Amino acid sequence: MKLTDAEKRMLDGEQGLLKQKAIEKVVQYANVLGAEELCKVTKAHLFCGSHPYLRAMNSDDFDEVVSEMHFCSSRKIIFDRVDHECYCQSDVGPMCPMNWQKMRVSEEEHARNMGYLKRYLDAGVQLVGTCIPYLTGFIPLMGEHYVSSESHAVLMMNSLWGACGHADGLEAGFWSAVCGRTPLWGLHKMDNRKGTHVFHIECPTETLLDWDLLGYTIGRKTPTHSVPVLASGFQRPDIVKLKSAFASMATTGGPEMCHIVGITPEARTLKETLGGNAAVEIIGITMDDIAESIDMLCEKGSGTLDFISLGCPHYTIDQLAQVANFLKGKKIHPEVELQVWTASPIRETADRCGYTKSIEDSGANFLTSSCPLTSEKVPPGSRAMAFDSAKQAHYIKPGTSAKVFYGSMEDCLASALSGYWEGR
Amino acid sequence: MKNIVLHGRGVIGGIAEGIAMVSRETIQGWSGVDDRTGIVIEQGHPFEGMSIKDAVLVLSGGKGSNGWSCHFHAARVGGIGPAALIFPKMDSRTGVAAVVTGVPTVTDFEEDPFSLLNTGDLVRVDGDKGTVEIINKKE
Repeated sequence: MKLTDAEKRMLDGEQGLLKQKAIEKVVQYANVLGAEELCKVTKAHLFCGSHPYLRAMNSDDFDEVVSEMHFCSSRKIIFDRVDHECYCQSDVGPMCPMNWQKMRVSEEEHARNMGYLKRYLDAGVQLVGTCIPYLTGFIPLMGEHYVSSESHAVLMMNSLWGACGHADGLEAGFWSAVCGRTPLWGLHKMDNRKGTHVFHIECPTETLLDWDLLGYTIGRKTPTHSVPVLASGFQRPDIVKLKSAFASMATTGGPEMCHIVGITPEARTLKETLGGNAAVEIIGITMDDIAESIDMLCEKGSGTLDFISLGCPHYTIDQLAQVANFLKGKKIHPEVELQVWTASPIRETADRCGYTKSIEDSGANFLTSSCPLTSEKVPPGSRAMAFDSAKQAHYIKPGTSAKVFYGSMEDCLASALSGYWEGR
Repeated sequence: MKNIVLHGRGVIGGIAEGIAMVSRETIQGWSGVDDRTGIVIEQGHPFEGMSIKDAVLVLSGGKGSNGWSCHFHAARVGGIGPAALIFPKMDSRTGVAAVVTGVPTVTDFEEDPFSLLNTGDLVRVDGDKGTVEIINKKE
């Protein structure tokens, strides 16, 4: 492995144990990948908070937990600073830090999370707490190397404006944030980003739900290690539709980059996207494929329901305006708990626009910085629930005995008022 | 009869033996493995209901959440992790998983592991030499 003098000094421990451990793991990771050198990382989106997977440590000691779960070290490492040239923002946490009581979180759990967040903040991580960092100031430019703990955010930032990142893993995000390096490998090299699998779309692509289902279906049909290309047959999407499509694509599949001909910058034409190579496979997405996805995601039939969650990925201010307009002056059914999730800076705007009042006056819980999936919290005793996100429905299903329904935001909001899922 | 030996690139050192769990389907990150029990919970997966504890996982790659490695990491810390990892081709999710679980890992084979290995085979993984030996083929 070719390391710079500065990297060698860091590895030798000249800048302390924390940086030494971080670059040691990055070098190990680079060796596993077969990378020959490292590159500078200037943005890191990190999975901060007292998350459920950390319970494996069976410890309340932040330093002990972080040493093992971030840096794989049984020796205590004090995580007290990130690299000064790497801008860091937090991803979602395990609960809403403001309205945690509405999630039935205990005072103790809340206090533990706030204690954890304070340590990340003190180390230099801005506590934004969202899965949509690209709408809250975390915008790596074309060719800029970054790390992110959110799978769809990687698809968005790589595909839509040519930034360079990978799925990596939660631990690798912290390594890079601390030492400011990641292996120069894969999508970090512009030559490796060509499309491999070409998709022709033969199903509707008009609504947000259409795009959510399209992403889910492409993810199912994309083999590992491939770069899908949407070549033809679709209506022009906007960023909200792609937010949903990429979230569901990175649920059923592993893509870290997806070209859309005529939309994304590395795909002005199909020929350019493929880089002179023939497509590995050409795939059509039909109505039958979409129907199969709906069958996988949504319980058949109709019935009463008691829990609905909207806002995966976190809602934009436009989406919140739609929810607020729908709910204004109405009351949700007394047997239904409706959660609406967004990022805290977007909620601030919703407060100013009056959307928060309309949502909360209806009886809904307006929450930030997490989701049912990340928090692993759904109301106890729920018998039937609904989501407008394939990602949320797909991941919640294996862990619950409740019926899971899936539909549009409008389907879900109508059910929130009636307490009844009308069926598809 | 001589045992079949596959040759690849050893990326995490050490030697481990275990029963192979082979899937071209990979396992999804979130809601794939219950990190408290080691049981695969992904619906419709060929491994659904099976435990990864002490197994030699042979997977095509990672998919789903970027929180892929952390579930294998948490399983290892809880004493219910895999014994070794075999990834015919490495990607970013599996690369981090190999580092954080720290168990013997081999990749980039001369042979095709999916055509030679089957779930239930007893195999020995040597992460230093980069070999996988089939000790006992499942009948």
